[in-house]
Amino acid sequence: MRYKILTVDDSKTVRIIVKKAFKSYDCDIIEAANGVEGLATAAKESPDVILLDVTMPVMDGVEMLTKLKSDPALKGIPVIMLTAEGGRDNVLKIAKIGVRDYIVKPFKEELLVEKVGRIIDLKPIGDGAQAKAKSIFDPASILVVEDKPAIVQQIQDGIKHTPWKIIGVNTTGEAIDHCSKTPPDVVIISLSLPDEAAFTLFRLLRTNVKTKYTPIFGLVVKTDTTVLQQAQQVGFSSIVTKPIEAQDLEAKIAKAMNLDTSERYFATEDNILLMRLPENTTPGVVAEVTQYLKPKTADAVDSGICRVVVDLHALKHFDMTVIKLLFTTMQTFRELALQYVLVGNSQIVTECKGFEDTKGWQFVDSVEDAKAQLNKGAPVLATAG
Amino acid sequence: MPTSDHISESVFKDTITHAVQNVFKTMFNATALLAEEPQTAAHDATENTRDILIEGQLVVGTVGFIGDISGLIYLYMSAPFANQLAGHILGMTEEELEESGDEVVNDAVGEVTNMTVGVFKNQLCDHGYPCKLTIPSILRGSNFSIEPITSASRRIYRFKIGTNILVADLLMKQGD
Repeated sequence: MRYKILTVDDSKTVRIIVKKAFKSYDCDIIEAANGVEGLATAAKESPDVILLDVTMPVMDGVEMLTKLKSDPALKGIPVIMLTAEGGRDNVLKIAKIGVRDYIVKPFKEELLVEKVGRIIDLKPIGDGAQAKAKSIFDPASILVVEDKPAIVQQIQDGIKHTPWKIIGVNTTGEAIDHCSKTPPDVVIISLSLPDEAAFTLFRLLRTNVKTKYTPIFGLVVKTDTTVLQQAQQVGFSSIVTKPIEAQDLEAKIAKAMNLDTSERYFATEDNILLMRLPENTTPGVVAEVTQYLKPKTADAVDSGICRVVVDLHALKHFDMTVIKLLFTTMQTFRELALQYVLVGNSQIVTECKGFEDTKGWQFVDSVEDAKAQLNKGAPVLATAG
Repeated sequence: MPTSDHISESVFKDTITHAVQNVFKTMFNATALLAEEPQTAAHDATENTRDILIEGQLVVGTVGFIGDISGLIYLYMSAPFANQLAGHILGMTEEELEESGDEVVNDAVGEVTNMTVGVFKNQLCDHGYPCKLTIPSILRGSNFSIEPITSASRRIYRFKIGTNILVADLLMKQGD
C-alpha cells in the first residue's frame, strides 16, 4: 500500500518543499491550499498523515484541526503542524486539540522526513528497500564501526577488488554522524565495542528513517556464541565471524544489498554468450551460477544468441559440485540447441580425463579460439594443449 | 499591558538578527551578517529610501504580527537575489523559474518572509508578548518607498548574505 501524505498550506513553496522532501520515498503527496480544501481532501483521500499550517486564508489550521478532531471518520488521522507559529502559548493551545507532532519553520527537509517516518513506514523508492546499487559492479559504501584499525584494514584488503568503498570509524558517535550525512549501503558493527555500544547503535540506526532498512552486520569472534546469539535475536541482518573470510563477507554484502551478481559469470561478447567460472568456484558460487543459468540462457536465446563459450580457464580444480553444474549447463544448452565450446587449462583437462563421466569432454585453449571455432560454424571440441 | 516601548533596542536587534540568520542558515545554508547599526525612527520617505540602498528592481515580502504587540516586517531584496532564493528553495533552475513566472518567486519570497517574521515574533511571544502572524504579501518595483504612520516606530537592519543585501524594515505600533 502506498502511503498518502496531505500537505495543507497556502504557500505553494511549502507544498513544493514537502514534495521535494519525499520524492525519493514510496508515498503520494496530496495538496490543499487552506483548511476547507484540507478537510474535503482528507475526507476523500483518507491520508495517512496530514502536515498542517496554521495561518491560512479561508479556514486556518486551528479551525481545520478542530473540525478534523470532531469528525469520527477523520479524527484518527495523525496531524503534524508545520508552521511558522511556534510561540509556547500557541504550541500548547494546538497540542491540546490533539496533534501528533510539531515542526516550526524554518525546517530542514531531513527533519520533516524523520518526523513523518515516525508515523508511517516510509520506504525509499526502488526494488527492495535498501538496494541503491543494483549490480555487483556498481559502487557502494560500507561503514565499518570498529575500534581496531587492523580489522578495518583486513576488510579493506579482502574486498579491494570490488568497487565498494570501506569507511572505517572508531566510535558509535562517529558512525551516527556519518549515517546522518551520507547513509551507507551496509553497516558492519563490531559487537565487541565497549558497553554494548553495538546494540545501542543498532537500535538508533533502526529508528532513523535514513537507515531503517540499511543492512546491518554484526562482527564477532566465532567462539563468542553468547554475543552472536544476542545479535541474531536483536535482528542484525547478518553475522560476520572473525577471522573474516573475504569471499564469505563479499557474498553476504551482495546478498544483503540484493545485488545482481550474474555479470561476474555471464556476459555477452560478439553475439556470443560467455559463461565464466572463477578460480575458486566454491559451493556458494555454484549455487549462484545455477540460479542465474536458466534466466541468462533464456535472455540470450530471446535476443537471438545461439552460441556459448564456457570459460573454465581460471578454474584451479574440479569437485563434484562443479562437475554437476557443468552437466546441468551442457544439458540446458543442448535442450535449447545452443552451440557451445569449453575453454580449459591443462590442469582441468587432466582432471577431466580422470573421471569416467567427464573424460570425453573436449576443450580449447582460449576464449578467442573458442569464438573462432564457433564462427566457423558447427563447434569442434578440441582437447586443450 | 506591555507595548513595544518596553522592549529595548538591543532586544529588537538580537531578535531580528537571530530570525534572519536562522532562516538563511536552515533553508539556504547561508550566513547572514548584520551589516550596520539600525536607523531608527526615520519617518522621512527620502531618508527611508536611502536606507534601503538596493539598486534595480526590488522584491519586497511583508508579513505582520498582531496581538499584545503589533507590527509589520518588510524584507527587501533585489530581483536577482529573489530569483536565486526561489531557485534554491524550490529546487528549480533559472530557466524553470523564468518559465514559471514571477508568481512562483513571489510565493517563495513570501514564505521566506513568513518564516523570518515567524521566528521573530515567536521570540517576542516567549518574552511575554503573544501575537499571531498575518498572511504574507509581496511588492515588486523600483523607486518606491514605504511611509509608516507617525505613531509607528521604525528600525531598518541591513544584512549581507554572500554578495547580496537583504534589508529588514521593522515597523512597530507604539503603545496607546
